[in-house]
Parts: sequence; structure tokens; C-alpha cells
Amino acid sequence: MNIPENILCSKSHEFLQDNGDNTYTIGLTDYAIEQLGDIVFLELPEVGNEFAKGDTFATVESVKAASEIYMPISGKIIEINEPLVDAPEILNEDSYEKGWLVKVEATGDESEQNDLLEYEDYKEELE
Amino acid sequence: MTKETYLHDKHVQLGARMVDFAGWHMPVQYTSIIEEHKTVRENVGLFDVSHMGEVFVSGKDAEKFLNKIVPQDISKLAYEKAIYCQLPNKNGGLIDDLIIYKLGIDLFLIICNASRIDEDLNWMVRNKRGLNVKIDNQSHNYSLLAIQGPKAVELMNKMGLNTHQDSFTIKLSELCGLKVLASRTGYTGEDGFEILVENEHAEFLWDKILNDGQEFGIKPIGLGARDTLRLEAALHLYGNDLDENTTPIEAGLSWSIPKDKPEYYNGRDVIMNQLQNGTEKRLIGFKMMDKAIARHEYEVYFNGEKIGVVTSGGVSPVLGANIGLAYVKNIKEICAGATIQVMIREKLHDAIVVKRPFVPKRNIIRVN
Repeated sequence: MNIPENILCSKSHEFLQDNGDNTYTIGLTDYAIEQLGDIVFLELPEVGNEFAKGDTFATVESVKAASEIYMPISGKIIEINEPLVDAPEILNEDSYEKGWLVKVEATGDESEQNDLLEYEDYKEELE
Repeated sequence: MTKETYLHDKHVQLGARMVDFAGWHMPVQYTSIIEEHKTVRENVGLFDVSHMGEVFVSGKDAEKFLNKIVPQDISKLAYEKAIYCQLPNKNGGLIDDLIIYKLGIDLFLIICNASRIDEDLNWMVRNKRGLNVKIDNQSHNYSLLAIQGPKAVELMNKMGLNTHQDSFTIKLSELCGLKVLASRTGYTGEDGFEILVENEHAEFLWDKILNDGQEFGIKPIGLGARDTLRLEAALHLYGNDLDENTTPIEAGLSWSIPKDKPEYYNGRDVIMNQLQNGTEKRLIGFKMMDKAIARHEYEVYFNGEKIGVVTSGGVSPVLGANIGLAYVKNIKEICAGATIQVMIREKLHDAIVVKRPFVPKRNIIRVN
């Protein structure tokens, strides 16, 4: 699995990728996936839904438990990764390129990203 | 402080993800729960279940004592036989569920849940008054290895164990030069053995089984798959499906309760009354109609009314569907084929009531 270069990560293990034009891709980090184990279910929001930073916007379930996924920034959903809902196991292979969850249009200030970490720093925090 | 089994270092070396379970640091998975689950259904898996309790009960009144604390008729238990039992309180609620083995006229072995060993021992001591019985907790001296799956017996045979024994029997046997207690039991719905061995030999035996089992596709199996396996077989998990507020009748364990046992036992009045007159709630099995997963403590509905609660729920890798156990109001409309709903994240999801077990058991073996 390739780790994209331009991502920021939250302490609750979501990644945020800047696509320009005030839009972002959001998903789960490889560390989150490793901790979850076999992923068997995914619930995504609908296009048009709006969330504040920190809101639960999706749920992922592994064999063991259900986990909520939080918005790393405030935003409006502009696209969801539809094929993932029918094949959530894709997340176990690659949570970045194929396994991204949603694309959003940011509705908050850029300062919302201040508590997000560069991937290297995020990895370091985990140790 | 978290306890470790004598195989703890082996699990860590194998790259297991370790979790705290009932006060023990145990492997939840080595590679993938689904993969481990399928290994046990298709080939053979090895489990470290040394956290479970082993209590020896001996003395002139051992049988009398056991008859007082379990609903089952221990007088009818033959030498080297095992029986599934419950430990009810005075109200018929369950302190634990157990396997009792008869090792001699006055000698029995109880295997109990790791999470309940202290409560069990307290209860047993309170119930031994006036009886000539010795209760000897040997949990710290023994390791327990479970070998489960359709190829388990072939593997044990190859390793030199005399596998000529029925299911639910125990024998003092020899395995790789070690004296072991070999029990043809398990908690997966598959055929297999549970091997009780002294701690000092546990690592040697673990390695040997994994090595000799290679040609049968053996894998070490964590507690995650142990849970999905037992759920498919609809075997109760203490703490989820059984507790001090549920009786064996409510739990669907009537089959295990003798109707004609002469001795009085704790909770007998309640249990016998429920057996005759029915219960307010009862355990059902269900299958989700969509991909949503029911989990422990989710609410269950029928015709818009809340009728109960899920006690165990999860995925069935064999069925490719999500299944669960729930306690619901005991009304005749809720029978196999009925549609109920489970509240999952504030939405109702349809489920269908199905017969238990969810996956046919393959562990009833008679060798003669």
C-alpha cells in the first residue's frame, strides 16, 4: 500500500488529503485498519450531508466491534466511495487509494487543520 | 494485575494482537479472525485456553456436593464421562456454566470460565458445609490446549494420542511422552480435543502441535475466532448470554435439565416451575436480512414494540450473513421464520428468527 504524500492525520486515525479547490478526501489511516482487523461493514453518509469537525459521519465495523469515524474538518459531502459499501474488505488492502471514504467541500476555517499531524509525526505519536 | 498463560511468549512471537480478557493477557487474533475461523471449519486450529479454570472436587461426599450445586444428575455420570452443567444461585440465575468430568468414584474435574473462577469458588465453599469434600483449585498448575476442526482427530492420531474415545469423554492419556488429560470436547461446534497438561510442558506441546499440524493446515486461533465459532454453533457465552439474572430454562438449556433428579439443588423450585409453566423471556437465534451487524445490548423490536435485547451478535463467516442471540418476550408469534427488528444506530433493521445452531454441529462422535 502506498501512503500518499500530502495527507494530514487526526489522533482518531482519519486522514485528510487536500485536492485543491477547497475540497478534500477523507479516509482511515493504515494504522486504524490494522487495529480494526477484518472489516465487514461500512456505513457512509449521503452526498449533501453537512458535518462539523469532530462529528461522526460514518461507521466501520470489524468482526469484533463497531467504530465511529469522525470528521477531521467541517465539510459538506460531495462524493462517497460507493463501491466500498458493497466490498468493505477493500479497506484491509488499501485504505488510501481504493479505500478512501468520502470527498468533502470544506465549510470551516483552515485553522481547523491545526491539530492534524503530518503522516511522519502521526506515526511517531503512535510509538 | 493482568495474568499471562505459560504460552504468552509464544503468542507474542507469532505476532498475535494481545488484549485483556477476564484479567488475562490473551491473543485475540494472529492474522485475521475470518481466516482463523475458516481454518477451524475446514482444517484444524490450535487454541490456548489456559485462562480457563480447573477445579478438582474430591472426597466421600463429592457426588452429593455436585448434585447440590448443579441441576444435572451427577449420580448418572459414568467414569470418564463429561457433562455440560450450570451453577445456579438460589433463584435459578446462573453463576457460571461448567463442564464436569468424572475421573474416579470420588474425584471430579470442573472446567469453568476464567471470568467466574472466584465467584464459583466462593459459591462452592459456601455450599460444602457439613460435607466431606475437598475443593482444590488447580488452575495455576495446568495449561489447556484446544485442537479443533475436521482434521483435529487425524492430527492427534498422528501425534500418537489414542483417539479411540467418544465425544464428551476424558481419558488419562499419553501424548508425545507426556501424561495428559485428553477430553473430546470443545467450544467451536467441531470435533476435536482439549488437552490438559502441566504448565512446564505447555510450550513444548504447543510447538509440537503447530509443527506436526502443518500438513493438515493448522493455524493458531485467537479469542476473536473462538467467539465467532461458538456463536455459529449457538453455544452460550457467560457474561453475554448467561448471567445471574437468567435461568437455564430462559437460556434454552432445558435439554440439559433432568426432570426426575431426586436431590434438591440450588434454584430447583424456580427451574422446575419454569420448566412446567414457561418463562417470561427466552433466548432466540436470528439472522439479519441486510448487512448491518447486531451487537451485544442492541434493542429488539416486534410490531413496533420493544421485546428484548441482543446478547451476542456478529458475523457468520460460514453463512456469509450476520447472526445473533437475543432474549425476547416469550410470545408464540416469535417463532422460526418470524420477522423482528434490531435497533442499530437509531434505525430498525429486519432480522428473521432462525433455529439454533446457525451452522450444523459436527462434534457428536461415537467410536463404538
